[in-house]
Amino acid sequence: MTENLLTVRGLHKVYGKRDSKFEALRGINLKINRGESVAIVGKSGSGKSTLMHLLALLDRPTKGEILLDGTNTSKLKQRQLNKLRNKEFGFVFQQFFMNANDTVLNNVILPLKIAGVSAKERKRRAMHALTIVGLESKAKNKASDLSGGQKQRVCIARAIVNDPAVIFADEPTGNLDSNTGAKIEEILFSLNREKDITLIIVTHDEELAEKCDRQIRITDGRITSDEDIAEERELAEMAQEEKEERHRKHLSGDMDADGLRDDATVSHVKVKEVK
Amino acid sequence: MKALDIIKEANQSLLRNKLRSFLTILAIFIGSFVIIISTGINAGVNDFIDKQMNSVGGEGYLEIMNTNATQQAAAMFSSEVQEYSEEEEEQSTDIYITEEQIEKAKKIDGVKSFDALPSAKAEYLQLVGKDKKIKVAHINLVPRGNLNMDLIAGRKADSDSDNYEIILTQEIAEAFGYKGDSLDDILGKKIYLAIPGTIKCYTVQKHSDCQTKVEAEIVGVQAPGVLAMAGSRVNVALWNKMSEINNEGVPKENTLAVQATADVDPDKIDDIKKEMEDIGLTSMSLEDEIGSIKTFFDAMLTVLKIFGGIALVAASIGIINTLLMSVQERTREIGLDKALGMSNGRVFATFAIEAISLGFWGSLFGIIVSFLIGQAVNFVTHETILSSLPTFQLIIFRAVDLISITLIIMLIALLAGVLPARKASKKDPIDSLRYE
Ligand SMILES: Nc1ncnc2c1ncn2[C@@H]1O[C@H](COP(=O)(O)OP(=O)(O)OP(=O)(O)O)[C@@H](O)[C@H]1O
Ligand SMILES: [Mg+2]
Repeated sequence: MTENLLTVRGLHKVYGKRDSKFEALRGINLKINRGESVAIVGKSGSGKSTLMHLLALLDRPTKGEILLDGTNTSKLKQRQLNKLRNKEFGFVFQQFFMNANDTVLNNVILPLKIAGVSAKERKRRAMHALTIVGLESKAKNKASDLSGGQKQRVCIARAIVNDPAVIFADEPTGNLDSNTGAKIEEILFSLNREKDITLIIVTHDEELAEKCDRQIRITDGRITSDEDIAEERELAEMAQEEKEERHRKHLSGDMDADGLRDDATVSHVKVKEVK
Repeated sequence: MKALDIIKEANQSLLRNKLRSFLTILAIFIGSFVIIISTGINAGVNDFIDKQMNSVGGEGYLEIMNTNATQQAAAMFSSEVQEYSEEEEEQSTDIYITEEQIEKAKKIDGVKSFDALPSAKAEYLQLVGKDKKIKVAHINLVPRGNLNMDLIAGRKADSDSDNYEIILTQEIAEAFGYKGDSLDDILGKKIYLAIPGTIKCYTVQKHSDCQTKVEAEIVGVQAPGVLAMAGSRVNVALWNKMSEINNEGVPKENTLAVQATADVDPDKIDDIKKEMEDIGLTSMSLEDEIGSIKTFFDAMLTVLKIFGGIALVAASIGIINTLLMSVQERTREIGLDKALGMSNGRVFATFAIEAISLGFWGSLFGIIVSFLIGQAVNFVTHETILSSLPTFQLIIFRAVDLISITLIIMLIALLAGVLPARKASKKDPIDSLRYE
């Protein structure tokens, strides 16, 4: 479970030249393991999106290196980077980037089309991805006809259609009301748990951030805290269990312990709902 | 994504902006239409000339005049004011081909035969044993050598034979009642030529008294055509007989030939023409004659094609404009494609193929419309101004021409697409995604 996916060393990113020069990242060091769910939080303009773009190999750092599976990505050719993004990464953007005039299905198909998958196969896989986000009935609709939440689900379907190792999501719930946002979160976390997809989520939303295994806080281009919530939560759960144990012993009754524990551990996502 | 995907996608994005694409295609269409039509006319004219050339053959056939005569003809059309010179006048009056010139010309290496032709005329034709007389406006010679007539029946009159032979035009044969399947029946029939004696006709009371009827054999029927122009043709023996009757009683020096024909070795034709020039004779081969018609058409059609080319240049600017707008509009889409792993080359290809598609559709419409208009023009001209030349199709569309025009236009469109396609492929995915 602790297989290393991404290692970042001394990452700097400078935008602009001379007078308009701006150092958006000022030395980031970071390790992300496979299967983790990582939230990148911080104030607006702190460099969250910049970091995500670098991690997702959409942009090249000014200084520092990013190792992916131990490979130094600065050594990779553009063609290899393209292939990596196409095969290993899934993207969910804040503004639901998609081709509004195209059908839902064609939007989801896009990464497979780029990969050169045959028409029949890519349709099958896109339909499968749409089923996961519960939108298989909208496949033939025009993307612009969907609601905001549905659009973001289409984006998730597009992000998972290539069976990625990592999903990068920049403010995936930023444009949505809390109910719809919760639904998107459910989908993302169930993918994380069930398919072991690494989640890297940029967000303002503290609640969403807390649901992740780990929160990385960025202030003015530097990491100011990196809490491993999963560990904390495990500790918290253990403490809770002990407390319950004591409580039960105290009552010395035959009450159903399982029911109680289910409520206490707070399952964030009910997998069945997502299906 | 495979090539087919890119092509499909390019055309779908053209469909997204129907009006804009349509206008761009329209501009290309105009250029391609002009070029296709002028190429079609070019092919039509060339095809016709070739057909005529083939039917006429005529390698080694020369038509000869005294150089003075051609100069006089040229002077007639010249508006240049010249001072009078008696010497020049004396020389230049000599438009006949002299005995001396004939003797010299016959000795030129490669000249097989040389027939100086005094004028010859007949007044009417009449089938032996029939009453119907057909007026003869003009009669031609079948020269020696391999000059073919555009025959639709029978054979060419033999100019090396002493028999009197004649080829009728199709119209005259039809006037005698031989048409279609029965055309062949006229072959071998005897026909009278009524030949007038010029001097005699001043002295007789009845005109028919000065006509001599000469019997000839009909050996062929020729199709109407440009080179087989106006009139039936007779062999040399008959021609000389006609001339002899025409000029009965005329002093010898007044019956000299103005024109001559020669059968020469085709390989030496250029040298022979030069040598003829040295003895004061100007000669013209069939190629020379046809060449001048061809040059005229070629010049006219070249001008047309240049116009078409200019229209295409304007259309390419339209393509550049359309695609630049399209690149601008699709900035986010391009960013997304690139973020999801599309290579620069593929982005370039998408726009390049969009440009090529514009060119393709433009020239396809050009072909379709040209074809329809060409058919209509061919039909109309066939019925009207070209009705006398049934083998002449004004506009001919050859697959090679159409395909190469389409390919050239697609290439031009591709060149026009390079700038916008490069611009698209150079876009940074992140900047594009930030673009509102
Ligand atoms: N292309 C660019 N050129 C110049 N400066 C840039 C560019 N992109 C980002 N920046 C600057 O870098 C800083 C970090 O930007 P970034 O988009 O990473 O912020 P963020 O943390 O994602 O903010 P938000 O929460 O508002 O999305 C900002 O100050 C921004 O103005
Ligand atoms: Mg951001």
